[in-house]
Amino acid sequence: MATLNMTPELLKEMYYTMALSRALDDRMWILNRQGRAPVVYSANGHEAVQVGSAMALNRGEDWIVPYYRDLAMVLAYGMTPREIMLHLLGRADDPNSGGRQMPAHWGLKRRHILTTGSVVATQDVHAAGLALASKVLKDGRVSMASFGEGSTSQGEFHEALNFAAVHKLPVIFLNENNGYAISVPARKQMAIMDVAAKAQGYGMPGVIVDGNDPVKVYEVTAEAADRARRGEGPTLIEAKTYRFVPHSSDDDDRAYRSREEVAEWKKRDPVITFEKRLLDEKVMTAEELKTFQQRIKDEVNDATDFAEKAALPDPATLWRYVYAD
Amino acid sequence: MAQRETVSGLPLDRSKLKTMYYYMVLSRKLDERMWILNRQGRAPFVISCQGQEGAQAGVVMALDRDIDWIAPYYRDLAVVLGFGMTPREIMLGFLGKADDPSSGGRQMPAHYGHRAHRIFTGSSPVATQVTQAAGLAWAFKLRGEPGVAAAFLGEGSTNQGEFHEALNFAAVHRVPLIVVVENNGYAISVPQAHQMAIHNVADRAAGYGIPGVVVQGSDPLAVYEAARAARERALRGEGPTLIEAKTYRYTAHSSDDDDRSYRTREELLREKADDPITVFRNVLTHLNVWDEGQEAQLQKDIREIVDDATDFAVAAALPDPSTLADHVYFSSH
Repeated sequence: MATLNMTPELLKEMYYTMALSRALDDRMWILNRQGRAPVVYSANGHEAVQVGSAMALNRGEDWIVPYYRDLAMVLAYGMTPREIMLHLLGRADDPNSGGRQMPAHWGLKRRHILTTGSVVATQDVHAAGLALASKVLKDGRVSMASFGEGSTSQGEFHEALNFAAVHKLPVIFLNENNGYAISVPARKQMAIMDVAAKAQGYGMPGVIVDGNDPVKVYEVTAEAADRARRGEGPTLIEAKTYRFVPHSSDDDDRAYRSREEVAEWKKRDPVITFEKRLLDEKVMTAEELKTFQQRIKDEVNDATDFAEKAALPDPATLWRYVYAD
Repeated sequence: MAQRETVSGLPLDRSKLKTMYYYMVLSRKLDERMWILNRQGRAPFVISCQGQEGAQAGVVMALDRDIDWIAPYYRDLAVVLGFGMTPREIMLGFLGKADDPSSGGRQMPAHYGHRAHRIFTGSSPVATQVTQAAGLAWAFKLRGEPGVAAAFLGEGSTNQGEFHEALNFAAVHRVPLIVVVENNGYAISVPQAHQMAIHNVADRAAGYGIPGVVVQGSDPLAVYEAARAARERALRGEGPTLIEAKTYRYTAHSSDDDDRSYRTREELLREKADDPITVFRNVLTHLNVWDEGQEAQLQKDIREIVDDATDFAVAAALPDPSTLADHVYFSSH
């Protein structure tokens, strides 16, 4: 990886975060199928785009407004596995919402992760607003919203991109295009091949990147962030990827896509291909990998045990966070 | 039987060219009368078509008013006249009289709607007409009926989410829709450069996978050609087209606006040199379709029509206060 302006430490951290996300994700499904967790939304298959983009930002300083699939992104941004499991199980100490929101509705003020709404594409306008604040305050921050290709058909997407382009706001719109809006394939969702083509209508660059390659995603995101910080405005990034599991634990994807299609994409599993690449290019040794795997197992077990033992919210606090207090 | 004599090199016969010109002049004169009535304190509010008549007449002449549906916006006086609303009906709506076909005197002026003439009721939130027109077009497709739906809007409305959702949906389902943006450069007082980071609204078409066409709004024949091509494409089942007609409005946004606070008189004068009515009259004269005698007769006829519509509407009854709740909830009568 001589061509990369990335340290071995960063590449290994990327891999570790991707693999940790996958392991946490797998554990969530187990807890769900055991009847111990209500619903799961997976990052499974999206880890490269999420980790590659998050790590190109000034983590904890720049704002991100993720969507429900962004487990690996929030991990990369500093949410801990324990915090994630507290959220999944709706515990009182869940930092996202104190056990109020559905799982995968991320929000962590400490790390500049903005609270997300259930209505898809609202995060686009929120990120544009954060970027407007950065422009006004001259705080040098960049904001990034991430979203599926289905939500690019929402009016909020249009309004956010237009506003951000007119005002040259420091914002990145990251589309994780996995080809399905729940069960609706992209061709029934839009009459174009590439979401990036929409950028033309706003007067901003539209970039297509292989979403299963975290290094490429890192590069285009870093470039978009530089452009934003130079005051040149927003960028739309389309990362082509795939989700390996159903939309959620309440969905059965066999109704709308073939097993052959899933198997074909799994050949390009970002966690497996990146692991192989780091080993082949001697960025990571087999010994290090083994250590990582053990550490991940320990972290996932610890997070699960910790969250299961944690207290549920006190019913007396039901009205908290509804009105100002 | 209409005169079918064709004019060399033009897609329209003489009678259609004259009809096109007639609606442009009629809408200008009606519009001017509205301002007089407003400034005399006899009418509440005017929102003008002045300057945009070429774009409006060009599109409407390419439509089939017996089968197509239109969803106009508040500036589309020439569109609704061309689609069959009478000057008397326009004035009834303008003065809020009981027999106003648009809303029985309920809506603000220029919220056009006429079921018999296939003019969909307009709402005040801009860009809602685009989703409604996409729905009308979808109905044509589902029913297997011929016909297209046309939505009209300003360039400011293209920044609304509804514009995006309507075009995306229409493109995916290839519904017979024509979206006509009358780009006059200002969203009330906001110049285009402050509304969007692109020069041509038509560039937005690429994001939906549909054709985007730019035409000069002061050239009604160019507009007609673009609209005719879009309609044929729609009827062939190939889906929607976005047409951007570059135009200008000669009046303030409305009778409650003062445009001197956001644009110069020099700019206005420069644009008025491209007045679609003058430009088109010169074209017709050059083609020997029109002469001074016909112009004098037309001005006289239209003066009478405008006077008649004004007198008729002024004398017409206001809505009966006991009907206040009509049209709010469903009733079978």
